[in-house]
Amino acid sequence: MEVELTEILEALCQHAPFNEIAEDPQLSDMSKEIEIEYLRSGEWVIEPNSLNKTLFFIRSGAIEVLSKEEKLIRRMNEGEIFGYSSLLRGGKSSQSMRTIEDSLLYRIPARWFIKFYEENDTFSDFFELAREVRLRVAMDSQSSQVSLMTCPIASLLRRPPITIHMDADIRSAAQVMTEKHVSSLLITDNDELIGIVTDRDLRTRAVAQSLAYDTPISEIMTRNPVVMDSHDYASEAVLKMMSKNIHHIPIIKNGRPIGVVSTGDIVQKESHGSVYLISDIFNQTSIEGLKAISHKMTHTFTQLVVADANTQMIGNAMSHIGTAFVKRLLQLAEEKFGPPPIPYCFIALGSQAREEQTIKTDQDNALILSDKYNKEIHGEYFEAFTDWVCHNLDQCGYELCSGDIMASNPRWRQPLSVWKENFSDWIQQPKAEALLRLSIFFDLRGVYGDKVLAKQLNQHIRKEAKQHTGFLTFLARNANQRKPPLGFFRQFVLDGEGKQSRTFNLKERGIAPIIDIVRVHALACGSDKLNTLERIEDIEAAGLLPDGRAKDLALALEMIGIVRIRHQKDQIEAGEQPNNHVNPENLSSFEKRHLRDAFHIVARQQEFIKFRYAGKRS
Amino acid sequence: MTVFKKKPQADTQDWQAMFAEWAEEAPEGPLKNYYLAGMIAPNTLLKDTPLLALDLETTGLDSQKDEIISLGLIPLSHKTIRCQGAQYWMAKPERSLHAESVTIHEITHAELAEAPPLRAILDEILIALTNKVVVVHCVSIERQFLLKAAMETYGYPLYFPVLDTMDIERQATYKPWWKRFGRPPSLRLDACRQRYKLPRYKAHHALTDALSSAELLQAQIAYHLDSNANISDYWI
Repeated sequence: MEVELTEILEALCQHAPFNEIAEDPQLSDMSKEIEIEYLRSGEWVIEPNSLNKTLFFIRSGAIEVLSKEEKLIRRMNEGEIFGYSSLLRGGKSSQSMRTIEDSLLYRIPARWFIKFYEENDTFSDFFELAREVRLRVAMDSQSSQVSLMTCPIASLLRRPPITIHMDADIRSAAQVMTEKHVSSLLITDNDELIGIVTDRDLRTRAVAQSLAYDTPISEIMTRNPVVMDSHDYASEAVLKMMSKNIHHIPIIKNGRPIGVVSTGDIVQKESHGSVYLISDIFNQTSIEGLKAISHKMTHTFTQLVVADANTQMIGNAMSHIGTAFVKRLLQLAEEKFGPPPIPYCFIALGSQAREEQTIKTDQDNALILSDKYNKEIHGEYFEAFTDWVCHNLDQCGYELCSGDIMASNPRWRQPLSVWKENFSDWIQQPKAEALLRLSIFFDLRGVYGDKVLAKQLNQHIRKEAKQHTGFLTFLARNANQRKPPLGFFRQFVLDGEGKQSRTFNLKERGIAPIIDIVRVHALACGSDKLNTLERIEDIEAAGLLPDGRAKDLALALEMIGIVRIRHQKDQIEAGEQPNNHVNPENLSSFEKRHLRDAFHIVARQQEFIKFRYAGKRS
Repeated sequence: MTVFKKKPQADTQDWQAMFAEWAEEAPEGPLKNYYLAGMIAPNTLLKDTPLLALDLETTGLDSQKDEIISLGLIPLSHKTIRCQGAQYWMAKPERSLHAESVTIHEITHAELAEAPPLRAILDEILIALTNKVVVVHCVSIERQFLLKAAMETYGYPLYFPVLDTMDIERQATYKPWWKRFGRPPSLRLDACRQRYKLPRYKAHHALTDALSSAELLQAQIAYHLDSNANISDYWI
């Protein structure tokens, strides 16, 4: 009679990695060799330094893993497996395991484990010992094949380019566009792209200006238009369209145009209107209009998440939108209060500067004034001006900064020379407490006005920071303040000290620590980048970290970031206010498993910067 | 119905001696061989005792008119259950199957129609039982049905020592009358298992139920029994 241990088999197949091999008839053979043990709470399963010969599957109960130094490493519950690291190393277990609840354990003979490990790639991926590799494999498996993020821009082209020679006149250009039903026309000279003309150009630069129909088209074209290479990703086109506020991008292959991608093509591919949202913002002439648009932002955000956009893409999109609000408000302010008496630069700080904004964040901004500033003469103008801008940003959903880091605060509205002194002061005589609040000033981007002012300030900061290693020591110490959790246990978040809590702040304890770590390294190597991923590239190129470690930070950031935006999307869809507080009950086992790896990477890198930038204790 | 041989007295509980006696009396054949193979001594420690969890599914509860339709076995020691030795049989009843019990067991008429009759598999079952102390939940049912099957097949009764997880649970949850309050605790297999936080299983498959009582015994040993005590303290 065929003996089938259904209960055992079914229990195994409900969990990774056995669910991957549920169809394998050998799994049933394996189940027949399982041994079952019942252990009361507090008993050793694998004693310190003992030899382990089986893979364990927790059928019920819970297990605690301790390091050689008896430090808590993790807690596991039903459906989890352990003992594989010692099996793969073929030696003693470096960790010890004991029950923390009455537990029913399945012992699976090592030879079965090794067999599946060698025969099945998905099975063995699960046991990848290096967290970094594990995380990479997991992230790869998540990315969707059809998404905008991974499709080359050339695949969006629907027809060969419609071109006309630069000597043609406006009339014939308009005739070609009408005939071919296109809204843009590429202007060439000897097959080389030299410009682009859109419907709008004909309207605003020709008809409205009463130009003669025989005017050469080259007179109204946009010269040297923004182009993209055929190998670039479609997602990059979206970003370009948003940041430059353009709707047509010629695609170039081997120096020749092969077509034009328009906003319409992108929107058709993925139904998000973030590109249109930006031009909408610039078309508004009243605060009411801007407020109305700000209500559409949550929709844009959820659409991006649903479309499988990665966090970099979403952060970019949300930041571009945020920046568009700022720019438009500043334009309106200049109309209202008159042109500025002296040059100024409005700067974004923190996440907006890094282009990593998520849905609705506080405003963090400041103003750099030209050194021609004279309080007596210009003070009143800029006070009213910034008050109005910050107040209306708040109206548009960017709430006033609770720490009052805003251009409306006179302390953060200073001439360039004062800013430079401030930074020199912070860097040369660092105070840990104060730096904690000031760290967002080290992510600083000019958004509007005379951007040279912001550029000069950033150069000053980079020069000072690189010269004062004591400052980096303080920054590194601050970056170590917020520790990521150890992992999860059932519906709880588990801390290093064994403390369990119901929720935790994914931003505070996962994303912010990574940004902090990266900022320290970036300042150390004099990087002029602000975006965390771009900074990571610079850090890697500078060789500040052992091979591959810089990329691990990027992986961890993406893993934690994607959980965060999905969580916020779910909150929005449930009609709640999006926040960063995550309850482990709402995480999938995939997310829990890989968040744990990401947290571990962060914790290890926190340790690293502690030593890397260790200074003399003051 | 033949008068059954006496079971060993509760105060002696020497199954080894009784097996020797029955080995002489039993007619030649598999049952005699089973008794001849003997039984462990009563002073064998629980931790050295070879155990075999057993469960039967029957057409009803009356051993006189109902029949065994399936039987599951799984070997274990005081600490470990070994799936490798698990065995399972279906037996075609001589009389027709009640529609009611069919739904309980989820075994279909078609499956049973293809199974051999119980007497054809009893030899194999005896070999599996040899030298083992049997673990069951509620001893009376398993004992009565197997006793009757042996009488019909070999003309001589089958007895075997048992650790009864229901009886162990009854003693473990016993309270003197002046401490009793409300309904007595349930002794059903599933209810007992929940007391030890063991997982819930689908009941009424002979092999699953055998596994169920094997796991329950592991938990009871961990909580209530002494692995270094003589098996005679526990077997019945």
